[in-house]
Amino acid sequence: MKSTEHWHPTTAHVRAHLGGLGLAVVAVLARRPDLLVLATPLICAAVWAAALRPQRSVGVGQSIGHRMVREGEATTWHISIDDPDDLVDDVAAVIEASTFLDTQPIDGQVVVSLRDDGNEPLAVMVRSTRWGSRRVGPAHVVASSAWAGFRWESENHADAVTLVTLPLPSQFDASAPAVRSPGLVGVNRSPRPGSGTEFEGIRPFQPGDRLRRIHWPQSLRTGTLHVTSTWAEHDRHVVLLIDAFEEVGESDGIGGRESSLDVSMRAAGAIAEHFISSGDRVALVVLGARGVQRLPPSSGHRHLRRLLEVMANVQPLSALVDDGRMPRGLGDDALVLMLSPLLSPGALQRAVTIANHGRAVIVIDCLPADIAQQEPADPYVDITWRIELLKRDRDIRRVREAGIAVVPWRGPGSLDLVLRDLHHHARTPVGRRQ
Amino acid sequence: MNERGLEESLWLLSRARRDGLLLRVLILVSPITALGFTRLAAGQTPPVIAVPVIALALLCVLLPDSHLGLLVVLLVATGWLATVHDPATPWSIGIAVSLTTFHASLAAATVAPPSARWTPAMRRRWSRRSLAVVVASAGTWVVVAAIDRYEIPSSDVLLAATLLTLAIAGMWAREGTVAGDPSQRD
Repeated sequence: MKSTEHWHPTTAHVRAHLGGLGLAVVAVLARRPDLLVLATPLICAAVWAAALRPQRSVGVGQSIGHRMVREGEATTWHISIDDPDDLVDDVAAVIEASTFLDTQPIDGQVVVSLRDDGNEPLAVMVRSTRWGSRRVGPAHVVASSAWAGFRWESENHADAVTLVTLPLPSQFDASAPAVRSPGLVGVNRSPRPGSGTEFEGIRPFQPGDRLRRIHWPQSLRTGTLHVTSTWAEHDRHVVLLIDAFEEVGESDGIGGRESSLDVSMRAAGAIAEHFISSGDRVALVVLGARGVQRLPPSSGHRHLRRLLEVMANVQPLSALVDDGRMPRGLGDDALVLMLSPLLSPGALQRAVTIANHGRAVIVIDCLPADIAQQEPADPYVDITWRIELLKRDRDIRRVREAGIAVVPWRGPGSLDLVLRDLHHHARTPVGRRQ
Repeated sequence: MNERGLEESLWLLSRARRDGLLLRVLILVSPITALGFTRLAAGQTPPVIAVPVIALALLCVLLPDSHLGLLVVLLVATGWLATVHDPATPWSIGIAVSLTTFHASLAAATVAPPSARWTPAMRRRWSRRSLAVVVASAGTWVVVAAIDRYEIPSSDVLLAATLLTLAIAGMWAREGTVAGDPSQRD
């Protein structure tokens, strides 16, 4: 980025010139040589500044270290100055910090002595405290000559950079077995016995069993052939269904208060990271958001990156109304994890619809736990929330009665109990289930 | 100054840290010190000068990049001219130091935002230059005191000053600048 602005005299230079000259003239006219003593500092400053006046424009280069960071991570905005006359004394730069961007030094303001300090310290650290895409820069750069007599300002506002902040996944782990899947490939234990590596038990030999599976000690003890049975292994298809129709609660960025969408995004990131690290396929569907709303199922760390990028670009669209319809492209045998604050009847209706279509669905309640206390100064807000939460509890109870698990997001192990129940449910023969 | 400008200036002042704060203290203190030197030299400081100077200095704290500083300088000089009648008084060095501090603080306050942290090199350079100007002012006082003591006619002083000015102007016209080698600059 090159700027073509010019050097112009400052108020300090005008003061030195007019003040010094005026006092000198009065000293001569009034025959008061002592006024020359008073005029000397101003005359010196004026002459000094005029003698070292830069002529050519300054070149400014600006760049950012990383265009993609995670919540809480920082990158650096670098500013380099090219001073063709070698007459620039001080260079100051300011970066406007938008919401959820912290800067270091404070207020994004930095100043250096160009000839003594060089370009290196002319950098501002930018730390993003919330997921999303934000514009950073360009920095407003001001260069001053000797005695701040002349000033040059960059006024280029074109080269702002979009800093994508990926949601920082909450801590999450699930030790429960997989639910159900038609496939027999992958790294997870299937609910069905089969050809795998994880030990299931020892049972009598049946026609078709492999001879290498014979458990000789048991066979010798009992006198009949026994074999070692194992769990089959399969691939899991998880769909993360994020409800972005409404965002409730205040967001202070990472480490502060969380909005419902903050909880949803961080939970979704954690769940996606967990399942992808287990070799599963994860798909993403975002409802009620602008832009890209879905990603097909895939696995691998590159896919995880894409998932997080799509999540980072989610912008809630308040104009849309949640109609509670079944979203498209969920897959026939997917485990649907729906993340929602569950404040609208449409969200709960959607969970029932998905379950009625035969999908295993778990609803993850992403309403911040402290939502009623986020505005302690206003007692009416507290009362309103209490009434709203009572209505919400009633609706959730009805959904649970319909056989759908609703679990609040509490980080590690949040889903263990439900996943285990679904696993046992899937293993139960169909006749007994009914 | 409109209401928005004042609000912005107050906000900027509230963000001032360390160096920015020190400069603003100097902007306020140096004209008051100048008034003090005037009082020491003359035995009085007319309120008609002192009150506007302090009020303008306060405004300069809020608006360092304005022409209010020039008014402060002219008012201080007017007060000096009106009340002090000893051209060779050494207190004029004190007032020159105050004016140097005032001008340098105002100028320095405009090179960086108020919360920006100055580097040691910047502090050293501004201090060194201010000191050089103070030394030059002291030199001027020595000349003024000599003129007063030896009662050199004012026409001779004017002639010498004119010759000196012409010599400097001639150097400048020949070389294009009086700075000379940039590497030799302070």
